[in-house]
Amino acid sequence: MRLDTALWRALAVYRLAALLYAAVSMVAYTDRYARPGLGWGVLAAMALWTAAAAYLYADRRRRRWPLLVLDLAITVAALLSSGLVLYADRIEAGDPTLTVSWAAAPVVAWAIWSGWLGGGVAATAVGVAAIVERGGASQATVNSLVLLLLLGCVVGYVVQLARRAEVAYAEAVALQAATAERERLSRQVHDGVLQALALVSRRGDPELAALAAEQEAALRRLVGAATGPLPVGTSELVALLPGGADLRLAAPADPVLLPAGVAAELAAAVGAAVDNARRHGGDSVWLLVEDDLDAVTVTVRDDGPGIPAGRLAEAERDGRLGVAQSIRGRVRDLGGTVCVESTPGQGTEVELRVPR
Amino acid sequence: MCPDEPVAGGPGAGGPGAGGPVAGGPVRVVLADDHPIWREAVERDLVAAGIVVVGTAGDGDKAVRVVTATTPDVLVCDLQMPGRSGVEVTVAVAGLTRVLVLSASGEQADVLEAVKAGATGYLLKSASAADLVDAVRRTAAGDAVFTPGLAGLVLGEYRRTAAEDGAPKLTARETEVLRLVAKGLTARQVAERLGLSHRTVENHVQNTLSKLQLHNRAQLVRYAVEKGLAD
Repeated sequence: MRLDTALWRALAVYRLAALLYAAVSMVAYTDRYARPGLGWGVLAAMALWTAAAAYLYADRRRRRWPLLVLDLAITVAALLSSGLVLYADRIEAGDPTLTVSWAAAPVVAWAIWSGWLGGGVAATAVGVAAIVERGGASQATVNSLVLLLLLGCVVGYVVQLARRAEVAYAEAVALQAATAERERLSRQVHDGVLQALALVSRRGDPELAALAAEQEAALRRLVGAATGPLPVGTSELVALLPGGADLRLAAPADPVLLPAGVAAELAAAVGAAVDNARRHGGDSVWLLVEDDLDAVTVTVRDDGPGIPAGRLAEAERDGRLGVAQSIRGRVRDLGGTVCVESTPGQGTEVELRVPR
Repeated sequence: MCPDEPVAGGPGAGGPGAGGPVAGGPVRVVLADDHPIWREAVERDLVAAGIVVVGTAGDGDKAVRVVTATTPDVLVCDLQMPGRSGVEVTVAVAGLTRVLVLSASGEQADVLEAVKAGATGYLLKSASAADLVDAVRRTAAGDAVFTPGLAGLVLGEYRRTAAEDGAPKLTARETEVLRLVAKGLTARQVAERLGLSHRTVENHVQNTLSKLQLHNRAQLVRYAVEKGLAD
């Protein structure tokens, strides 16, 4: 990932800059050291590790816990070596340690590697080592511990955020590309195939026309689905409803969004109602989808002969409306209601209403 | 914006200058669609029914020019065209002619926009030749071609804006009528069921449309004024 590469590179640069600072500091203080030779030796080791770390951290496969533990151990050792190089009283007086800010590098490494917790752990290790080094807690050592903790946790937290943002960004880019592609496809389908199918459905012989209309409706739904991503866990109801040359759909312009499970169940119930209407009705079935603030209503109407008022209740009581029962069951499970209404000469309407 | 938008009122209420077939004369139509095959097919159907196609256009800009030059009774207009879209064409020819939108696919949002912009009819392209001819004649006569699909769209639009301040509202009777139309009942069946006259049902239906169009126009004006003041 690009973010990680950049972070580890930044850490290598930091380590190098901190090494230079440590070298300058050593030149300035070397005449006050008990063992200047050892001091230069430690600096040489630090330089070696700076180069090695830059190389080792560059490869993602090597960025694992042994390397990070080694990094922390080497840094703590370099920090503690100040006790051998400096006079004890100078250390207690507050002369800079050999490592100075170079010691913060593994804190940043741990923070990048495993977030704010890793940063905190490494900061504690380095901070405690510094306190031990100075022979006990003082305002200065506690201060630097707190600063290290702050550094580790903040860097770790920000890296976690950035990583999440990077993932989200990559997803958004992929989605945008997919949407653009789907729009391009839908445009082509719309301009070509749909026009031809619409023409065939108007001009062809009845059988061919019905087939063309069916395919046109199916394609239209497919292409219409390219309107963009839906919120997670929701479905667009109209896209799930049954199709067919004999179906006349009336629906709002905006997508009718429902929890995916509710939409699927409602669509299945509507499917059953449509089958019923096709069996007992006339030539066409009308579907009306209404989206209120508090409920979604789908009405299925056929233009069959209709059922006289008394006969409907009677038929239902006798359990002769088997399909109606299964429709009722499904909708009741969703907390909704089904209302069957029939006017002789004007067909039968089944109204399925599901609360939001 | 033209005061005699051919929307409200029944036949003959379009007023002078708003098109309207000369009494007894054939209906004059302009056809705008970017698909030549489709355009020719529709033209054949209309001509066979005795309707005069006075011009055709393959893109939105040409459609506006042809309508301006010929002032037909009806513009039969595709929604997706190069140049100006069907919605923009509808806005541009307001007052010159009546617009019947012929939409090829599930372009419901665009259909709604076209209707709000002044189109008085909407038909799916898969509608039969007889339905198309009938729709053209009714549009020319100043009637709204209120298919169940359009009724569903209009119902949805009123519901969507129900919570908005100043948005138009449906009366209980209008809602009742629209729902029945959306469920596929003919105006006659609606009249029968509600115990109303056929004319009253037509008026209710047209009112629901003109309220939307009026509100849309008021919003456009307000938007223009605000933009003008801000510049």
